[in-house]
Amino acid sequence: MVDELLFFMEVLVGGLLAGTMYSLVALGFVLIFKASATFNFSQGAMVFFSVLAFCGFMQDFNIPFVLAFILAAFLMVVVGLCTERFVLRPLMNASEDTVLMATIGLGYVLEGLAQAAWGVEVRRLDLGIGDFPVPWIADNLKLFISALDITAGLVAAVMIIGLFLLFKYTKIGLGLRAVADDAGAASSIGIPLKHIMLLVWSAAGVVALVAGCMWGARAGVQFALVDLALKALPVLIIGGFSSIPGAIIGGLIIGAVEKVLEVYIGPFFGGAIEGWAPYVLAIFFLLYRPEGLFGEKIIRRV
Amino acid sequence: MSNTSANILDIKNIEVMYDNVILALHDVSLKVPKGKVVALLGANGAGKSTTLKAVSTMLASERGKVTKGSIDYDGTSIDKQNPSQMVGLGMVQVLEGRRCFGHLTVEENIISGAYSRKLSKGDINQELEKIYTYFIRLKERRKSQAAFTSGGEQQMIAVARAMMAKPKMLLLDEPTMGLAPQLVAEIFNIVKELNQKEGVSILLAEQNTNVALKNSDYGYIIETGRVMLDGTAKSLLSNDQVKELYLGISKKGRKNFRDVLKEESLTKKKIN
Repeated sequence: MVDELLFFMEVLVGGLLAGTMYSLVALGFVLIFKASATFNFSQGAMVFFSVLAFCGFMQDFNIPFVLAFILAAFLMVVVGLCTERFVLRPLMNASEDTVLMATIGLGYVLEGLAQAAWGVEVRRLDLGIGDFPVPWIADNLKLFISALDITAGLVAAVMIIGLFLLFKYTKIGLGLRAVADDAGAASSIGIPLKHIMLLVWSAAGVVALVAGCMWGARAGVQFALVDLALKALPVLIIGGFSSIPGAIIGGLIIGAVEKVLEVYIGPFFGGAIEGWAPYVLAIFFLLYRPEGLFGEKIIRRV
Repeated sequence: MSNTSANILDIKNIEVMYDNVILALHDVSLKVPKGKVVALLGANGAGKSTTLKAVSTMLASERGKVTKGSIDYDGTSIDKQNPSQMVGLGMVQVLEGRRCFGHLTVEENIISGAYSRKLSKGDINQELEKIYTYFIRLKERRKSQAAFTSGGEQQMIAVARAMMAKPKMLLLDEPTMGLAPQLVAEIFNIVKELNQKEGVSILLAEQNTNVALKNSDYGYIIETGRVMLDGTAKSLLSNDQVKELYLGISKKGRKNFRDVLKEESLTKKKIN
C-alpha cells in the first residue's frame, strides 16, 4: 500500500515537473497573445531556431556556454526586431487572422533558416544537468525525480516571477497590459505599439530559448521540437491564452494528468495515450470553460 | 478669426475616404481658436467621429485617408504624423465609447495616459493628485478594476487619462453618450473647468446639441459630411432652424438642412 502510494507520488511529481517544461513553451505563446491577440504558430520554430543557434555557437564556434547563451538571446532579440519591422508593421491594420497566417509563414522561414545555417542532424545539448534521479531525494524521500525536471521547475518559477514583476511594476509592462486590453485606445494616448510589439517578440524569443534548452537537453536538439511546442496548445486552452499564471498551472495540469493517465489508464488502451490525452482534456475545457482557468473573462457590466 | 495664429486647429476643406471608395467627408472646414471650446454637432453618421480621427491621425488604422484639403495644428501641417506623435505634440483624442482598459485599475488607467511623457514616479504622483482634484469621484475608486466602474466614471477615466498626457488640445468624441442627465452635466462641468483652469482647447463632437452649445464658445453643424451651419454658440442656440432640427422644437416635420434648403429654393422659384 505504502509502495503504491509512493509510486503514485512519484508519477505525479514527475508529471508536474515535466509539465513545467510545457509551461515554459506556453509562456512564449501567452506573451504574444497578450499583445497581438494572435496565436503565434511560429513559437515552435522560435524554440527550434534559438536552441539550434545556441548549440551551433557552442559546438561549431567553440564559444563558451554563458557567452553562447547571451549571443543566442541577442539573436532572438534581432529576430523579434526583424519580425516587428518586416512582418507586423506592414500588417499593422490587417485583421487578426491575417497576422495568424503570417506567423505560420514566419515559422517556416525560421525553420528553414535554422537548418540552412546549422545543418539538419540531431545535436546533443549538455547543460551539465543529468536527466536522471537525484540521489539525495531518492535516498531520503524514496522518490525518483530527475534533476532536469527540478531545474525546469526552478527556471519556470524564476521566469514567471520575472515576467510578473515586469508587467506589474514597469512602465512598458503597463503599456503592454494597456495594449492587451484595447490597442486602439492605447495608441490614442500615445503608447507606441511598435515598442510594445518589439518587447513582446523579443521576450517571447528569449523564453523560447530557455524552453528550447530544457527540451533540447532532454530530447536532443532536433526538428521534432517544433511539433513538441504545439503541446502548448492544450496547455493554453486549459490555462487561458492571456494568462501567465494560467500557462504555468495549465502546464502542470497537462504534465500531471498525462503521466498519471499513461500509467494507470494507458494499459487499457494499449499505452501511449500521453500523446492525445491532453487534447481530450482540452476539448472538455473548450466545452465547459472556454476562457480557461485563468483566462481573462470578457467583463460585461449588466 | 482672420488671424490664423490665434487658431490652434485649422481644418480647410477636407475630404475623407475609407477604403479608397467610401466618401465619409465631402467638405469640412473648421477652426478652433486657442483656449476655446468648439462643438461639432450632427446626427449619427454625419461625420463627426471621422473629422476628429482625421485630426488625431487615427484614421489610418481604420483605412481612412484625407484625400483633399489640409489640417494645420498649432501652425504646422499634420500630414506626416502618427497618433503617438500627435500625442507628443499635445493633441489627445478621447475616443467614442470611453475605451477604458478594463482589466487595469482606475489609477493604472490614468497613469497610462502619461506614457508618452518622461516622468519620474514622484512627478507622476504629483500629476495624479492634480488630476484627482478635477475627478474627485475617481480618487475614491482608484483601486477598482476599470471595467466594473459605471459609465460616467469610465468617461471620467477616459478624460483623466487623456489629461495625463498634458494636452494643449483635447478631442472629445461624444463624451456624454448614454449617460444620465445629471452625469452629462457633471462631465461638462469638468470639461469647462479643464478648459478654463488648464487652458486646454477643446473640440467636442456631440449629438446632445443643447447641452453641448450651452457649454461651448462656437459650434459647427455637419450633415452627411458637410458643414451646414456654423456660428457662435449663442447665435446657434437662438437660430430657428437649429431649434427646429436639433433642439426638437419642430414646426413642419422637416428633418434636416437639406429639406430646409429644398424648401427655400422652391419658394424662390415660386417668387420668380
